[in-house]
Amino acid sequence: MNQEWQKAMLEYINKTMHFQGMADLLFCSHYPFSAQAKEYVTQKGLQLSTEIIEKAEKRVADAIVLGKIRKVAQLPEAQEEELAIYAASRMIVSACANRYIMNRYCIAEAKRAGEYLASDSSAHPEYIGQVASEFGIKFESTKEGVLVPVVDYLVFSPRSYDYKLSNRRLKAGKVLISSHEKIRILEEAIRKRMESSLPVKAQFPQEVAEAARRIVKLMPKIEISATKVDQKNYPPCIKKLLEDLALNINVPHTGRVALAIYLSSIGMKPEQIIDIFRSAPDFSEKVTRYQVEYISSKKYAMPSCSTMDGYGLCVAECGCGNPLRYKDEIHGARLRRLEKRD
Amino acid sequence: MLAQQQTPEEKYVKDAFMSYYKNRSFSVPEVHQREFGFGGWERKIEFRHIKIGTNQELSAKLAVEAPFYISYSVSYYQFPDARPMPKKAWLGADLVFDLDAKTHECGKFTCERCLQEVKREALRLIEDFLVADFGLSKKEMVVNFSGSRGYHVHVISNEVKRLDREARREIADYVAGVGVSFERLFWKEGKKLFGPNFSSGGYGEKFAKAFCSKLNEDAFALFFSRKLKLNEEKERLIGYIQKGEWGGVGVVGFERKLEEKFKQMLPELSVNIDANVTADITKLIRMPESLHGGSGLAAKKVSQLDSFDPLKDAVVFRGGEAKIRMSETVPAFQLDDQTFGPFEAGETALLPQSAAIFLLCKKAAVLA
Repeated sequence: MNQEWQKAMLEYINKTMHFQGMADLLFCSHYPFSAQAKEYVTQKGLQLSTEIIEKAEKRVADAIVLGKIRKVAQLPEAQEEELAIYAASRMIVSACANRYIMNRYCIAEAKRAGEYLASDSSAHPEYIGQVASEFGIKFESTKEGVLVPVVDYLVFSPRSYDYKLSNRRLKAGKVLISSHEKIRILEEAIRKRMESSLPVKAQFPQEVAEAARRIVKLMPKIEISATKVDQKNYPPCIKKLLEDLALNINVPHTGRVALAIYLSSIGMKPEQIIDIFRSAPDFSEKVTRYQVEYISSKKYAMPSCSTMDGYGLCVAECGCGNPLRYKDEIHGARLRRLEKRD
Repeated sequence: MLAQQQTPEEKYVKDAFMSYYKNRSFSVPEVHQREFGFGGWERKIEFRHIKIGTNQELSAKLAVEAPFYISYSVSYYQFPDARPMPKKAWLGADLVFDLDAKTHECGKFTCERCLQEVKREALRLIEDFLVADFGLSKKEMVVNFSGSRGYHVHVISNEVKRLDREARREIADYVAGVGVSFERLFWKEGKKLFGPNFSSGGYGEKFAKAFCSKLNEDAFALFFSRKLKLNEEKERLIGYIQKGEWGGVGVVGFERKLEEKFKQMLPELSVNIDANVTADITKLIRMPESLHGGSGLAAKKVSQLDSFDPLKDAVVFRGGEAKIRMSETVPAFQLDDQTFGPFEAGETALLPQSAAIFLLCKKAAVLA
C-alpha cells in the first residue's frame, strides 16, 4: 500500500514537473520580468551572443521608434532565446543611460506583456493569476465583473479620468472592474516594476555599448517648443514641469493637466501645447490631442498653489498664490533674495 | 530661540500648559520615524524637521518646553530630521482626514452647533466611507478632536502606508465627491435610462438610496412628476431602481431632472474634508492628546465619537479662576456645561480657568 502510494506520487511529480517545465518556459517567454523567468535564466545561465545582441537591439529600436515590441513565434527554442534577448535588451537600454529611452522601452515591454495577457486569458487563463501574484494583487471574479482590492487599484491603475475612483463602484474595500481593465492594471504594474528595475548597473560588453550608441541616435529630434516661449514669467512649478518633459521624465497625469491648463490659460494654442508633450516617453498624439483640446475648450481654472502643493507639484515657496499670478520681478526676485540669504 | 518679550498672557497660558505636560507620558506610534514640529504663541509651526528618538524623550521634552502646538508628520522617514524633504527617505505614511467646522457667524469662537455638524460629518466619513466603501476596520483608526474646530481621523495600517501622493489624492477626491459625474453613473440603452442600484457601491449606491428615501418628501417627488404623489407610483419607481432601471416609470424629462437633483444632492452625499491634508504626505498634524495653543483644549483621542462632547471632554484646565478683560466683542460660548458671555470689548470678567485660557488663546482677551 505504502509503496504503491509512493510510486503514484513519484509518477505524479514527474508528470507535473515535466508539464510545468514546458508550460513554464512559455510563461517565462511571455512574461520575462517575472520572478519565474529570472529564476529560469539564473538556473540555465543563458549566454549572450552577437546574434542575441542584434535581436535585442531590434527589440529596443522597435520600442523607441514604433512604441511597441513585436511578438515572436512560440517554438521552444525561440522561447528560451526570447529570455536572453530580453536580458540583453535591458542591458542596451541601461547602457543608453537616457530616461526617455528607458521609459519608452518600459512602456513598450508592458504593452507587449499586455497583449500576451489578453491572448492568454483564453489560452492559458492560469497565467493571468500567476502574473497578478507577481505583484501581490488578488483579483476576484464575480458575475458582474472582476473585483480588485482598492489599495491595489490605487497603486496600479492608470492615472486617467476613466479610472477616477470617484466614479467607480467601490464597496467593502473592493473596486469592480472589467476584464479589460484588469489587464490594463497588470500592464501598469509591469511598467512600474520595469521602470524601478532599470537601469541595470554593470559593465557591459563592447557590442552592447555599440548597440546603445545606435539606439540613442533613434531618439526623436524635437526642438522643445517650451524653450521658444518666453519663460521669464513662468512660475517655478511650471518651469519644473517643462524641464521634466524636456528631460523625458515621465510627468504624472496631474502635472500634465496642470501644465496644459497653465499653457492654455496664457493663450497658447492646442497645437503648440501638444508639441510640448511630444517629448513625453509615453506620448500618444491621439490621446494628447483629445485631452489638450478638451482642456483648452473647457477653460479650466488654474489650480491654486495649495492644490499644486497637494499634488506634489509645488517646488518653491514663491508665495504667488496661483501659478498664473506669478511675476518674476516680484516673486522671482523674492526667491532669489531668499536663496542668497541661505 | 531668540529671547522675546513674553506677554503676561503668554506666560499665564505657558504655565498652565506646563502643568498639563508635567508628569504625563505620551505614546506616538513609530515615534523615531516621525518628523516633529513645534509652535509658539504666534505661529503654529515655528520649528520643524525635528527628530525624537523615543516616547520617553518626547514626554520629557514636552514637560520641559510645554510648546503651544505640537505636530508630527503623517509620514514615516528613515531620517526625520534631514533636509530638504527628499533626504528624509520616505518610508510610508498614515492616511489622515481633516474635518473642520464650516465657519459661520460664530467665527473663531466655534459654537456647539458647528461642532455637532462636524461630528456628524466625521461619523459619516468613518461609517459610510472608510468602513463601508474602503473596507477599513475601526481598529485601524485613531480619531481625535483637533483641539479647535474639528476632528482628525488617522488610518494606521500597513496596507495604506505605501500609498503615494496621487493615490491619496484619489481617496481624498472620492471622499469629497470631487469628479463624481452623472454621465459616468448613468447610461442609456436605446432610449431607456439605466443606473446604479442599492448594491452598486460607490456614489451610485449612495445616490440611489438617498433618492429613494427623498421620494417620501412631496416636494421632491412632485419635482419629477405629479403622479409620483401616489404611493403606489413611488413604490413602482423604487422597484425599478432596485433593478437599476431608472427609466422604468415614464416621466417626461426624467433624465434632465434627475441630473439636476444629482448635482444638488452631491454635497450631502460626500464629506467635507480638507482634501489637501489627505493628499499631502509632507503634512504635519496635531499630535493626539497634545494641547491646542489656539484654544487651550486638548486634542483628545476619541473612542466613542457619537457621545463625545469636545466642549466638555477636551477641557483640561479646571484650576481656579482668572480675571480677564475682553479686547474684542465675544459672543456667548459654552465650556464645561456652562455658558459665558456675551461680552463687550473692554468688559472684565472673572472666569473659570478653562474659559479664561480659551479666550486668552483666541487672543480675544488680556489678563486684567
